[in-house]
Amino acid sequence: MELTIKSLSKTYKNGVKALDNVSLTIPRGMYGLLGPNGAGKSTLMRTLATLQEPDSGTVSLGEIDVLKQKDEVRRRLGYLPQEFGVYPRISAQDMLSHLALLKGITNSRERKQVVGAMLQRCNLYDVRKKALTGFSGGMRQRFGIAQALIGNPQLLIVDEPTAGLDPGERNRFYNLLAEVGEQVIVILSTHIVEDVMDLCTNMAIIHEGKVLYQGGPQAAISELNGRIWQRSIEKPELAHYEKTFRVVSNKLVGGRPFLHVFGEQPPGDGFLPSQPDLEDVFFTKIRNWN
Amino acid sequence: MFLRIALFEIRFWLRSWMVWIFLFIIGLLIFGAVSSDNVQVGGSLSNTLHNAPFVIQNFYSFIALLTLLMSTAFVNSAAIRDFSHNTYQIIFTTPLRRIDFLLGRFIGATFVSVIPMLGVSFGILVAKYMPWVDPERWGRVDWAAHLKGIAVFAVPNAFFVAAVLFAIAVLARNEIVSFVAALLLLTGYGIAGALTQDIQHEQLAALLDPFGRRAFSFLTRYWTVSEKNTLSVGFDGLLLWNRLIWIGAGCLVFAAAYSRFSFAERRTKTKAVLDDGLQALLAEPAPPVTLIRPQLHDSLWPKFWGSFKIHFLGMTRSTFFIVIAVASLLNCIPSIALNATEGYGNHTLPVTYWVLDLIRGTLYLFVVIVITYYAGVLVWKDRDERMDEIADSTPTPEWISLSSRLLTLILMVMLMQTAALLGGIAVQAWHGYHRYQIGLYLYELLIRDASAFLCLGVLAFFIHALSPNKYLGYFFYIVFLAGNTFMWGPLNVATNLVQFAGTPNVVHSDMFGDAPYRAAWSWYTLYWLLFCGLLAILTVMFWPRGKQDRWAGRRRNAAQRFHGGWVSATLLCLLAFASTGGWIWYNTAVVNRVVGPKTLQRRQAEYEKAYKQYEKKPQPRVRSVKYAIEVYPESRNIVMRGEQAIQNPLAQPLEEIHFTIDPNYVTEIEIPGASLSKDDQKLYYRIYKFDSPLQPNETRTMHFTVKSRNRGFENDLSTVELVQNGTFFNNTIGPIVGYQSQRQLADPNDRKKFGLKEIDRMPPLERNCTDNCRETYLGGHSDWVDVQTVISTSADQVAIAPGSLLREWQENGRRFFEYKLDHQSLNFYSFMSARYEVAREEWNGIKLEVYYDRQHPWNVPRMMNSLKKSLDYYTKNFGPYFHKEARIIEFPRVARFAQAFPGTMPYSEAIGFIANINKPDDIDFVFYVVAHEMGHQWWAHQVIGANMEGATLLSETMAQYSALMVMEKEYGRDTMRKFLKYEMDNYLRSRGAERLKERPLLTVEANQGYIHYRKGSVVLYYLKEMIGEEAVNRALRKVIAQYAYAQPPYPTSYALVDALKEQTPADLQYLIKDLFEDITIFSNRTLDASAQKRADGKYDVTLKVETHKYKADAKGNETEVPVNDYIDIGAFARPAKNKKYGDTLYRQRIHITQKDSQFTFVTDSLPEKAGVDPFALLIDRVPDDNTKNVTLLSGTSVGKNQAARAIQ
Repeated sequence: MELTIKSLSKTYKNGVKALDNVSLTIPRGMYGLLGPNGAGKSTLMRTLATLQEPDSGTVSLGEIDVLKQKDEVRRRLGYLPQEFGVYPRISAQDMLSHLALLKGITNSRERKQVVGAMLQRCNLYDVRKKALTGFSGGMRQRFGIAQALIGNPQLLIVDEPTAGLDPGERNRFYNLLAEVGEQVIVILSTHIVEDVMDLCTNMAIIHEGKVLYQGGPQAAISELNGRIWQRSIEKPELAHYEKTFRVVSNKLVGGRPFLHVFGEQPPGDGFLPSQPDLEDVFFTKIRNWN
Repeated sequence: MFLRIALFEIRFWLRSWMVWIFLFIIGLLIFGAVSSDNVQVGGSLSNTLHNAPFVIQNFYSFIALLTLLMSTAFVNSAAIRDFSHNTYQIIFTTPLRRIDFLLGRFIGATFVSVIPMLGVSFGILVAKYMPWVDPERWGRVDWAAHLKGIAVFAVPNAFFVAAVLFAIAVLARNEIVSFVAALLLLTGYGIAGALTQDIQHEQLAALLDPFGRRAFSFLTRYWTVSEKNTLSVGFDGLLLWNRLIWIGAGCLVFAAAYSRFSFAERRTKTKAVLDDGLQALLAEPAPPVTLIRPQLHDSLWPKFWGSFKIHFLGMTRSTFFIVIAVASLLNCIPSIALNATEGYGNHTLPVTYWVLDLIRGTLYLFVVIVITYYAGVLVWKDRDERMDEIADSTPTPEWISLSSRLLTLILMVMLMQTAALLGGIAVQAWHGYHRYQIGLYLYELLIRDASAFLCLGVLAFFIHALSPNKYLGYFFYIVFLAGNTFMWGPLNVATNLVQFAGTPNVVHSDMFGDAPYRAAWSWYTLYWLLFCGLLAILTVMFWPRGKQDRWAGRRRNAAQRFHGGWVSATLLCLLAFASTGGWIWYNTAVVNRVVGPKTLQRRQAEYEKAYKQYEKKPQPRVRSVKYAIEVYPESRNIVMRGEQAIQNPLAQPLEEIHFTIDPNYVTEIEIPGASLSKDDQKLYYRIYKFDSPLQPNETRTMHFTVKSRNRGFENDLSTVELVQNGTFFNNTIGPIVGYQSQRQLADPNDRKKFGLKEIDRMPPLERNCTDNCRETYLGGHSDWVDVQTVISTSADQVAIAPGSLLREWQENGRRFFEYKLDHQSLNFYSFMSARYEVAREEWNGIKLEVYYDRQHPWNVPRMMNSLKKSLDYYTKNFGPYFHKEARIIEFPRVARFAQAFPGTMPYSEAIGFIANINKPDDIDFVFYVVAHEMGHQWWAHQVIGANMEGATLLSETMAQYSALMVMEKEYGRDTMRKFLKYEMDNYLRSRGAERLKERPLLTVEANQGYIHYRKGSVVLYYLKEMIGEEAVNRALRKVIAQYAYAQPPYPTSYALVDALKEQTPADLQYLIKDLFEDITIFSNRTLDASAQKRADGKYDVTLKVETHKYKADAKGNETEVPVNDYIDIGAFARPAKNKKYGDTLYRQRIHITQKDSQFTFVTDSLPEKAGVDPFALLIDRVPDDNTKNVTLLSGTSVGKNQAARAIQ
């Protein structure tokens, strides 16, 4: 089964073009959707999750027309929105059980088992009777993951899932995803490149509604081989360097700016070759240098 | 510093739209109230000028109740804005003093809270210049009244409210708690009002009212129209104290809030859950849990049930719902338990229909609030809680989302209803009333009312589903409800087919249940439920799901959803809706008629315009009638055949006879030797021309047949007199001779609208009148008639007609009765039929009968007793009783009155039959009403006034006097004091609301009940006290002897007043003028009352009193006149336990001729109270200050001189 997106466009009422002729083919496995904030990732995810109507284009999940046979999609869908809240005065267990019911686990004994298992997997079992409103950000996010995974989705859409998670939780979450990701389509949207690098076999970079890159992360990195250069500079020099070079990134290392610049030829000026990473790919793509 | 914070706060609000919207709303409301008759805010305007100082101040005293929730918004935000916006960390770390911060915010919020209240002034000021207002009802702009209204009411009320809300906000830091507290404040205010309703606590209640409203009404309670138009209250008397008390209370509350306020962040209320996730991760990872692969199903029932459960539990656990439900019950149950008074401080037995009415009156406002509020909450719940993306992406059909929420809403309503139901039953049990009609409760609340609430809920869901935001949804819903309530009348649309959720107004009676209304109600309810079904389908189609920012997308979604089962369901629903509508249309508009309210008024106006010219035209008179009446209770139909003798009483021949016809019946008239010359089928007026004129004294016999035409069902019941059990109609459904002025439009504004001049008052009183006294004030072109009736009804019912029962038989499965009047009587009587129980007794050969519903046996013995005691007193003191029976007959509560017909007295099930008179101190209302109606057997049915001013003095005032005497004999003089206090109070209040002219008793108008009943009681009782009961009765006997059953000319009020005058001794002759010819009002006051113990153990009592006497004109302008009156002074002992009044220790009639006087007298024991006119016999503007508590002076007085010195 494959998710095929063809020429998807969406313009909001305020004139913002969120999706501009987006076409993607997403196979089974983990698929990373990388883009800066406001790139149109969430619009795309919501469209795939049957929550939004595009202006034009088609989406199909195997034989299913996602835009028309919404209920068919929903039966196979697990969705973790970027932002979500919870009903007040309700415990994690009750809420999860309710969502499991809505997803179709109508047998109450079975539901109880599934919910219990899922709570354990997401490390929420001990607090299952507590009100969700009292949860910390990480706990709430784990709950979100739990609800997305429940009911064996064949299409799992997770929008910025690791926001608010500490490193340990992030690891655990990736393990979970990787485990289910072998059998189903997992679309992971993020603006954190390591997430994609670590997890995904396929990825796309989206910026201002357009797909800038589609393919494997490693392939993208290889493209940059020999075109990324690095050096550290003094703070006052920054403006000068930004004017003179195509600066991909600038990080503080030991309190001094450390630059990655893009160039087909060695730029000289003390720049040394650098091993490109996905972040370099991301920034060169969205600046359209590559 | 605090000033700067206050100014900042004020500027902050002045820039927001909220203040101005609130100001606009209040302004519009008041504008509507003063410029249109359709809008009422805090009571009607009566006949004061529309911008009278009284009106302005009354609005200002009331408006704080309306702006309370608005103030909550301002105050709450001022108090906790920094916490809810998390700016407190910035603000509270500045070197700001707590007092400056709090006081500044508080003063600012108080100031802003006053702004919406100013809408009162804006509304009134603007309305004056509207083209449609009647300039005669508007006076000059009284700026002082506006300013005083703001200073006395608006500002202090805003201050107090703000203080309380500020304290709550500071302590709770939660918006919902603040709003709930505001609602509780409103409810508490309502309850306090109900608790202090009893007249005894008036002054205390006035002080305890935080808004000063009751103090205001206490100060102005006896104001006349002219006073209301010119005077305004400042910080006076009781009001000053009230304001001081509550401003003080506000300060205290604020101080308390200040002492509790802290800049520190409080621990958040929701308990944080300890996150053990990290610990668990750091530890060895848990063994992987085997993934269960659950079976997914599409079964919908569990999804529906699960969704419902989660919504229902979520909503009913919310604090707001619990509080509003509790508040509504606090408003509802005590009102049932306390029993609204029925008159004279009496209570009503908690019969179920009456409890139901109370539940509706006290609970349903809250229910509508809950529906309005929670429909929005439920529709927007997922989006508000940001659960929408998760929930919307699950495979749950939209109809489950809708129906589970709708069920939640309706069950929330039912929960409140059920709680009220249980409360109602508990109250019934507590009152020892054990006829629990559980079925009736369930049907009326959970079926009849709940189906209307369901319609409201569906509509609200529909609006919210389409609305782009929650607040717009609320706005549109409220606008729709308001339009639906107020729009149709002005549009002249009466049919319930277009008024959303419109059904006929059902009156439940213990006698007929809801039988007459059942068909129409059921069909209309089905019609609207089907409509709501369609609306619900539409709501499902447009149910918000996901993030749709464009209509096109939603329309596409709707089109996608509308398939298969939905199409057939819609078609089915549409078909059922259309055919139900068609069936209703056929029944209400084809078989029957729907007439718009304006059309009815226009017909009345046209009737007057076309036929008023014949009002004075001489007509033949009815001399006798023989009826053959068939009553068919099951089908609510009757056939009335009459054979009527008409005679020419005049010296000239008569050419024509005119009839006014009842539009609800089909009438055929047959007059031998006469032909129909005009038949107005629209205005129901007929003129017959005699072929040969009716000669003087010639009598002819005419026939008529009157048939009801109840078929199918009507939009609203037109003939409520015909019911399945409890038929009750008058002879006036038959053709009435001549023009009927009762059919005219009465409301002065309506009359103006149709270009009619002011309604005729009664003709002026004449002495020695002949020609103008040929008609009684009841009209009808008849004098004393003989009536004979054969009336038949279904086999299980008893039918009653005037007179003695001659025979009774069965025929064709129906019951027949023949009645005949024992003595000629007025042509004014009724016929009834119902399944009656009959209580029978005899009094000196006269049959006493009470016909009652078997469910209402409680007061029948009291009625019997009153019948007997009345006959005792009246036959002894007035003259003989000419009927062989006296009957009281219960009729259903479609009307609430008791009325006297010859020998029969119909009495509504809603009054006396369910009166609850169990405390020894109660005024026996049932006894009194029966005595009053029995009094009419002499005063109306023997002596009837000519159609002229003062006519009702001869009937209503005399019936009141008669009843007073019978009551005094039965219950003693103390009860009379209590009764007369109510009468006096009613008179004094009502005269302030008189729309036209207050008349003296001698020339009272027939519709001035507050004069002929209330003032009449007080005046006649006073006269009796002054000249003695025997002297009054001698006069009455003389009037009876002269005028009982006399042929025209009929007597006028002079006949009575002259007779009383004859019996009045010379030195009291002034009374006749004061009491009957003028409007005389006293202002007696005891300034000081003190007592000093004498050596012999007795007490010297000294009184300082003030006496003013006024004569009032028709508009209430008073002129002081010199006092030259015999007035009592007296002293009372402390009342014994459970007694209202103490023994009279001293009573002396004094001739008072000056305003200030001082008296000293001796009593045997220490009096508690003493004063002038201590029994409040005189009409006094403020009867309460006639007596004063006696202060005991220390020391022993030797003689008078010393006591006098001690006072000076």
